[in-house]
Amino acid sequence: MVSRRVPDTQSTYCSRCDTRLHERVPGSAEKTLAWLIAAVILYIPSNVLPVMYVSGVGGGQESTILGGVLSFWRGGDWPIASVIFIASVVVPATKFLALGLILWTLHRRSDWARRQRTALYRLVEVIGYWSMLDVVVVALTSALLQFEGIGAAEPRLGIVFFCAVVVATMISALSLDPRLIWDIGRNSEH
Amino acid sequence: MKNWRAPSGPCSRNSSHPGDHFTAKMSTPGSELIVCPHCDLLHRSAVLGRHEIAVCIACGHTLARHQSFSVDQLLALTVAAGLCFLIGNAHPLMTIDLAGMHTEATALGTALLMLHGWAALPGVVLAVSMFLLPLLQIALLLWVLIFARMQRPAPGLRTALVVLHRSRSWSMTEVFFLGALVAIVKLSSWLHVVPGIGLWALLSLTILLTILSLVDASFWWSLVQAPA
Repeated sequence: MVSRRVPDTQSTYCSRCDTRLHERVPGSAEKTLAWLIAAVILYIPSNVLPVMYVSGVGGGQESTILGGVLSFWRGGDWPIASVIFIASVVVPATKFLALGLILWTLHRRSDWARRQRTALYRLVEVIGYWSMLDVVVVALTSALLQFEGIGAAEPRLGIVFFCAVVVATMISALSLDPRLIWDIGRNSEH
Repeated sequence: MKNWRAPSGPCSRNSSHPGDHFTAKMSTPGSELIVCPHCDLLHRSAVLGRHEIAVCIACGHTLARHQSFSVDQLLALTVAAGLCFLIGNAHPLMTIDLAGMHTEATALGTALLMLHGWAALPGVVLAVSMFLLPLLQIALLLWVLIFARMQRPAPGLRTALVVLHRSRSWSMTEVFFLGALVAIVKLSSWLHVVPGIGLWALLSLTILLTILSLVDASFWWSLVQAPA
């Protein structure tokens, strides 16, 4: 909805939904960068540390995200391996690269491929939460596999980091104001 | 797809000159102004036909969708979503029977199980995104639509609509459904896992919430402007 700008006022509120209006979301690019850096840092322990511990008759075994993907792949379960790989590796990596690219071009004040970069932003928004898949799988497996002595599963610290990565990248994407992409070329038109 | 006609040049930029502003004419349909939330280009609205969507001519963002559901139909979809939510949480998503032992997983139970100990963060995120937010969305939709059916705005309608809009990004029933499928296939390689009624209720809930999330924002806000 379009609102009339009231001159000489510090803050304006939308007449329809009472939300405070800003010309641009304040500190948008900075917040996005901060959450993105946090996500990249957290991504390291989430891949190095095991995400799940499964004990069986012959002892227990810890597994990491990539270890799990590899064991499915070797076992011939390549559809499951692909789904977990896409959700846990491809999606976060795409988010890092896409948000990094948008932030870098904003920093360089580039007016290159504005439409495509806006589409990239929308892609990041849409795929964002699918990374939670592995957290769901670990949680459900741990809830179901509770047969003492035969087979039991427990979550491990890696999944906490991974969940934090997903939340951080989602906040990072939601903080970004895509209108910033369009500010650069258009200012010169006035 | 229908492009929205843009007035002469992008005039959405707020000028520093006082008085250099623009006014939205909300009274006559088809002449409303809309600003693209992704690139700030100002458009003049067009009347949409069935299955038509309006996209921004600059950045391609979907600005509006044709609204083909009536309030009654939306209310029916919401009630159905509520029932699916109840069934999905009352029945297990899947069960395992092994050597006389029985385990089962429900959506909320799985999240609560994680809350013990250091796995609390994923537990909280799962409980919020898979249980609390879908429940909140259904409750708010019911509240808004029941009053809309009585031809008057619901108390707290603005807050309800803002919360509905903001919570959408964090409601993830579809991820939970896919995760449940992956878990079933994963475990069935060495155990007999039986999918439960809860799983199908979760799938139905996901489809219904997706349909409801496609309802155009202008429809919801038209409820605010309707005379009491």
